[in-house]
Amino acid sequence: MPFAGIDMGIQNVKVVILDDDGKILARSISPSGFEPAKAAEQTFREALSNAGIRRDDIKHVTATGAGLDMALEADSTISMVAADAKAGVYLLPSARTVIDVGAEESRIVVCDERGNVLDFTLNERCAAGSGAFLEAMARALEVRIEEMGELSLKAKGTASISATCVIFGETDVVSLIHRQEPKHEIARAIYDALAERIISMVHRVGLKPSVILVGGVAKDIGFTAALRRKLEAEIFVPNYPEYAGALGAALHALAKAGGNIQ
Amino acid sequence: MIEGSQQYWRWREYHLVFPEKRPKQSSIITAGVDIGSVSSKAVIMVNGEIYSISIMRTGSSSPDSAKKVMEWALKDTELKLSDIHYIVGTGYGRVNVPMAHNTLTEIACHAKGANYIWGPTVRTILDVGGQDIKAIKCDEKGKVLSFLMNDKCAAGTGRGMEVLADLLKIPIEEMGAVSLNVDEEPEPVSCTCVAFARTEAMWLLRRGWTKEKVLAAYMRAMAIRMCNLLQRVGCESELAVTGGQSKNVGIISRVESLLGMKTLPMPEWEKDGRDPMAAGAIGAALFAKALHEKAKK
Amino acid sequence: MDFKRSIKEKKYVVEISQREVEELRNSIRAAYDKVIADYVERMKRGWAGRPKVMDYFYEMADFSRREKELIEAKSEGKKIIGYTCVFAPVELILAADAIPVRVSCGLYEPAKIGNRIVPVEVCPVIRSTVGAKIIGLSPFLEQSDALITALTCDGMTKLSEIMSDYKPVWTICPPRLKDTEQSLSFWRSELLTLKANIEKLTGTKITGKSLRRAIERVHRANRVFRKLQNLRKEKPVIMGRDAMLVTQIAMWDDLERWTEKAELLCIELEERLKENNLACPPDTPRVMLTGSPIIWPDNWKLPNLIEEAKPQGIIVADELCSGDRFLYDPVGVDEWTFEDMFTALAERYLMPSTCPCFTSEAGNEDRVNWLINRVKEWRVEGVIYYIYRGCMLYAMEYMRIKHALDHLNVPTYYLDTDYTREDVGQIKTRVEAFLEMLKARIEI
Repeated sequence: MPFAGIDMGIQNVKVVILDDDGKILARSISPSGFEPAKAAEQTFREALSNAGIRRDDIKHVTATGAGLDMALEADSTISMVAADAKAGVYLLPSARTVIDVGAEESRIVVCDERGNVLDFTLNERCAAGSGAFLEAMARALEVRIEEMGELSLKAKGTASISATCVIFGETDVVSLIHRQEPKHEIARAIYDALAERIISMVHRVGLKPSVILVGGVAKDIGFTAALRRKLEAEIFVPNYPEYAGALGAALHALAKAGGNIQ
Repeated sequence: MIEGSQQYWRWREYHLVFPEKRPKQSSIITAGVDIGSVSSKAVIMVNGEIYSISIMRTGSSSPDSAKKVMEWALKDTELKLSDIHYIVGTGYGRVNVPMAHNTLTEIACHAKGANYIWGPTVRTILDVGGQDIKAIKCDEKGKVLSFLMNDKCAAGTGRGMEVLADLLKIPIEEMGAVSLNVDEEPEPVSCTCVAFARTEAMWLLRRGWTKEKVLAAYMRAMAIRMCNLLQRVGCESELAVTGGQSKNVGIISRVESLLGMKTLPMPEWEKDGRDPMAAGAIGAALFAKALHEKAKK
Repeated sequence: MDFKRSIKEKKYVVEISQREVEELRNSIRAAYDKVIADYVERMKRGWAGRPKVMDYFYEMADFSRREKELIEAKSEGKKIIGYTCVFAPVELILAADAIPVRVSCGLYEPAKIGNRIVPVEVCPVIRSTVGAKIIGLSPFLEQSDALITALTCDGMTKLSEIMSDYKPVWTICPPRLKDTEQSLSFWRSELLTLKANIEKLTGTKITGKSLRRAIERVHRANRVFRKLQNLRKEKPVIMGRDAMLVTQIAMWDDLERWTEKAELLCIELEERLKENNLACPPDTPRVMLTGSPIIWPDNWKLPNLIEEAKPQGIIVADELCSGDRFLYDPVGVDEWTFEDMFTALAERYLMPSTCPCFTSEAGNEDRVNWLINRVKEWRVEGVIYYIYRGCMLYAMEYMRIKHALDHLNVPTYYLDTDYTREDVGQIKTRVEAFLEMLKARIEI
């Protein structure tokens, strides 16, 4: 019997459905919007139809995410930190450090081989340490966020910007544009600034290999390149990194309701 | 005169000329140009009286913004740029004001400008700009005695208001009044990060809060930050508020109730140009006059 | 047996690959070479008509020349003794024919590496020194055979432990109260223990004769240093940041050579004063710096901002353990017996110190009085109270100092920053506004 995990993110709702062997049957994502409960219901239905199953087939649903209290009725809940650890080890069995960079929150989770949390740290509520930073900077640079990563890869690293505050970062970007610094150099400076914030968090908990990078920002090649430049460790980026939270929740559902992972 | 626009965050850009202050042959003509992070302001003075004033949004280039706002101030005035004897640049873009003869920081200019707008009794100035908050103490001549600024982070500054105006679809000029329309003052929001203002507000709306309540919570948090800064500098009566948020009654009234102290009333700026939002440019134009007179001696 | 092993065990050291160490060291070294070259260039530009002897100090500002000398001295069997804090009596090191060198680090990038061992809340001097040690970056720290650390603030206290993972560390503990009978005798006994440690390492006995010679050597440096500081009371004949660099170099240079060069500088500056040949206009606002130590090179951002600002300011005095406090006070010997010299030495390193680690009922009045004296005699017009994040003692003493200076009608500005190069824009506006404010006061 299948199990479901639902991640009520600030920007998107994500759903993952697993079968009792722990194989992923379906994924689905949609924006949280103004009515997250509705969005959750909708995304859930979509995932069910992707998996070709009915609501009643699901044995257990676990919810996680910042908007937990607005999720549809779930059988259990789990913290984002715990979900990260579970998903990290599932995706990469040797993973001991999970870096999750999301739209508004970044987490570093250190775990054991069974996905139990040993240590973790979160960014304080400041946009400079999360994906929101990249969005704001892309706006200031007047490039589309989807293109900024590719752009940054051409740079040599001649520029740098302040990562203390999004607003000050914007000011820096604008003044770099005025100094006629090439756009790809500024793009790289933006990724470097975020990577540095994340790395200082990693060092606070202590880096344990292997490292897996998840969360929506993990899809940005500009960011992964910056992190790889600056962090002295192999970094594994899975396919569909944005589903890590939902996957962790689904794994929790599976563990809770008695299935076992192969 | 009012630039028409559908965007809620867009505050009113304007240009006013006071023909009765028209320069004569022997008049001293000076100007102040304040390039802030969000708005650019230019003031032309004739013998130390406001003749023309213009306020517009800062573009992505400071020198262009300076040129544009100055051109606008010169419009309908019979003056050319070369007729101005002395120009002082101020604000965060002050080094990028190409026509300026000299530059001064916005701290000195706001103190001087507040002294001009409200008179010699002003002792403390709260300046709330687009990306910073300043608390300034000055003497009866408008000279700075001490000051403090927010650092490291732009939380609680004017930029957040623009974001909220857009999200809540309330014209920015009306936000203050709307925020006062609550039965009971809510707890302040815990995070005034400008970049998070949008999601912070979305969260509250999803929880069933009204727009009014969301605004009240956000403005209360901003007012608390401002009061902390004022108390650290040592707030003395009389207190003036300048900068972009000086017209936001939602913030002003909360600052007043937190401090237990009234702020100086909004002058009738449409009649004479004494707009607290342009205090920096007004102060710069006054410094320009003093510097011009000193140079002539 | 077990106890011994636990001492040997690394307490703080983090695992890091040799490859990463080398990569970081090379890239950071290249980065700070650039910073040093840039700062020296800016200082040269800011004082085009400088005396020729200044070029010696600019050259020494690059650590590599002194590094070569230290390596050479070591190969000749000399011992190098590093110290983190100006509580360490350099006279004792010199008397044992060893070379003293201050090892606290003023570099930005290593501070970020230091975060691997200590949290970001700790002050950047500690983080930077730890980070520099992790990657073997600082030439002075690397060449030191042993370190003297003083248990002053919390940061320095734990830094001692961390450093002991790498090198022999001798801690000295200054009493937090100065003027009780026990204070001095306790401190004197701390220094006696230190003396024994130095003797053991160097194999050289510190005798009355060698101690006297060392004290006299430092006396000569004291005299020249006072001359330089006193010249700054007058019209500006030297830019503040240049005077500060000269002072700082004394902490790693050969003291005798330094004395000679600084003497030449003073002679030239006295001439210039007579000729009214000034480094900047005489009405430039006169600023004093106090607070957290300002360490070459990354900390120089503040002196640079002040003296390159518009309006320009000039730093005429400082109350910093990285500046004035190092050489201003001589050891006051009455009789040249060993006992008397040693007591005088202990007094010198305790009594005049204005470190905020001290307390008294009147609230560290030595620092207060010292600042008041400087403000009056050096005609200081504004004080910048410089704090970097995590420097708790200085941060907490701010109100005490501000109240005292308010009585003198001297404005104080509390500037809070870090080693980071990112906040220069924001600090610039504050510094310029402060200088404008001073300028307006002067013009009344």
